[in-house]
Amino acid sequence: MEKNYYVCTGCGLLCDDIEVESEKNIVNKVYTACRVGVAHMKEARRNEANFLVDNKPVDEATAIKEAASILKNAKNPLIFGLGTSINETQKAAIELAKKINATLDDTSSFCLGPLAEALIQDKLKTCTLDDVRNKADVIIYWGTDPSDSHPRQLSKYSYFPRGTEKQRGWEEERTAIAIDVRKSHTAKICGNYFFQIPPKGDAEFIDALIAGLSGKLPKTSYNYPPKKLLELANILKGAKFGVIFVGRGLIYSLENLEPLFKLMKILNEKANFHLIPMVGNCNTMGFNENLFAETGYVNSVKFENGTVKHGPEYSIVESLKAKSVDAALIIGSDPLLILPRSIAKNMLEIPVISMDHCETLTSKHSKVYINTAISGVEAGGSAIRMDGVKVSFEPAIETNHPSEEVILKKIMEAL
Amino acid sequence: MDFGSFLAAPEIKVKIITYRDIFQDKAMLENRFGEEYRDLSAVVKLDPADLKQLDVKKGETVILKNSFGRVVVKAEESGYETPHRGIAYMPKSPWSNMLISDETGGTGVPKFKDISVTVTSAKGEKVTELML
Ligand code: SF4
Repeated sequence: MEKNYYVCTGCGLLCDDIEVESEKNIVNKVYTACRVGVAHMKEARRNEANFLVDNKPVDEATAIKEAASILKNAKNPLIFGLGTSINETQKAAIELAKKINATLDDTSSFCLGPLAEALIQDKLKTCTLDDVRNKADVIIYWGTDPSDSHPRQLSKYSYFPRGTEKQRGWEEERTAIAIDVRKSHTAKICGNYFFQIPPKGDAEFIDALIAGLSGKLPKTSYNYPPKKLLELANILKGAKFGVIFVGRGLIYSLENLEPLFKLMKILNEKANFHLIPMVGNCNTMGFNENLFAETGYVNSVKFENGTVKHGPEYSIVESLKAKSVDAALIIGSDPLLILPRSIAKNMLEIPVISMDHCETLTSKHSKVYINTAISGVEAGGSAIRMDGVKVSFEPAIETNHPSEEVILKKIMEAL
Repeated sequence: MDFGSFLAAPEIKVKIITYRDIFQDKAMLENRFGEEYRDLSAVVKLDPADLKQLDVKKGETVILKNSFGRVVVKAEESGYETPHRGIAYMPKSPWSNMLISDETGGTGVPKFKDISVTVTSAKGEKVTELML
């Protein structure tokens, strides 16, 4: 029997081996996916209205008209989100942003944006997750806990699986290392190779590790045992195919990426190391790449009559803080849930249009809410996996919810 | 007369480290306005010695407060073998987000992993409801 495999869009891993049993366009069973993936594939069981204005059900035309009028009346609208949207939607949103002179940003401006930018510009050596599965012998999880955030990362790609050049897998041929401020579930799996450092201790730890790699005595102000650091340096030096998975824990703790560039340089003088960002959403990478191709920047831009400006002042956080935006179109994201309340609260003062496949804190405060199809589950398209590989997918079920792409195009027409 | 009620409840200062939790993420996908998501989010995990100093038993509620916000959440023991007095752990959620500074130094990046709060017993006060 021929099997149909679907893609899970539940996280940046975009697992492509998911089996789904559905009846009358309701997903009943999901196989192979993790706990989060199963919940995600079943999210399509919803019975909310497709279109709301002021929290009251309306028809599509009314919602589109209202959305267009909000954007038309705004001097500096913000478009934000798109991390779970397919590439085609992201490109449509960029076009819309240009047309209405909008500020455009996504979560990467306060997550892994700098890393995505460095990778897109080829400033760091990277590889694919398939390379990791087939070849990696030393795997570092730094400031990240995939066991919770990307649940199948260790079993499908990085530590447990057999690979073409790694037939004996984790038992004999792979060393997993965690560097973190707390003993996460991933750190537990790493056993003796868990290196616990104090909050904000990462830059110093990198310096000490570089000293250790260069045969000097590694010192830190928090007296990390030099013997343990030298032991780590020795493992890294012996790596034939090393990979560092970098999470927000590391990025938030560094002032800039310089220490990471230095570490990668020396690691590649002594051994062979790659870096992959632990991107959370299924297509944040796509947003960064699509915007970069169009503007030369990965996030935080403002379009102005054919020109484009860029800088942290055009990030969602600074735009809301400075109250420089006067309307917002939020696509597949919930800023009121994910941002500090002290900042997100300013969004309550401006008219908001939100597009999502379920009601969110943000949608409840929106003037217009459009209940859109779930990318991957109900709408096909393509997305960029956290390692930069493009993954295309067909929907698992049909839906009567409109796709984000179609709605964006209709709003454009109505402008 | 209960003189105890006139004494200030013990108060400690802690730094909060936020983290992701697969069970909480799953609960959010199922219903971010639901009880399960609240129960798995509105939690702070403390060192047992800190709980003792606060005179709070695990499962009871505490007030976390700083100049940005105040939330009532359930206190739990962290379960980590190594003592970590003064450091507490919270899953990343709207509850932890209530306590984050709006100071960003113009970088666009909030200090998600740099939260300082005082903790006191909430004396039975209920967990803060999700702010709508
Ligand atoms: S690891 Fe991520 S992509 Fe894979 S099944 Fe789980 S949520 Fe879906």
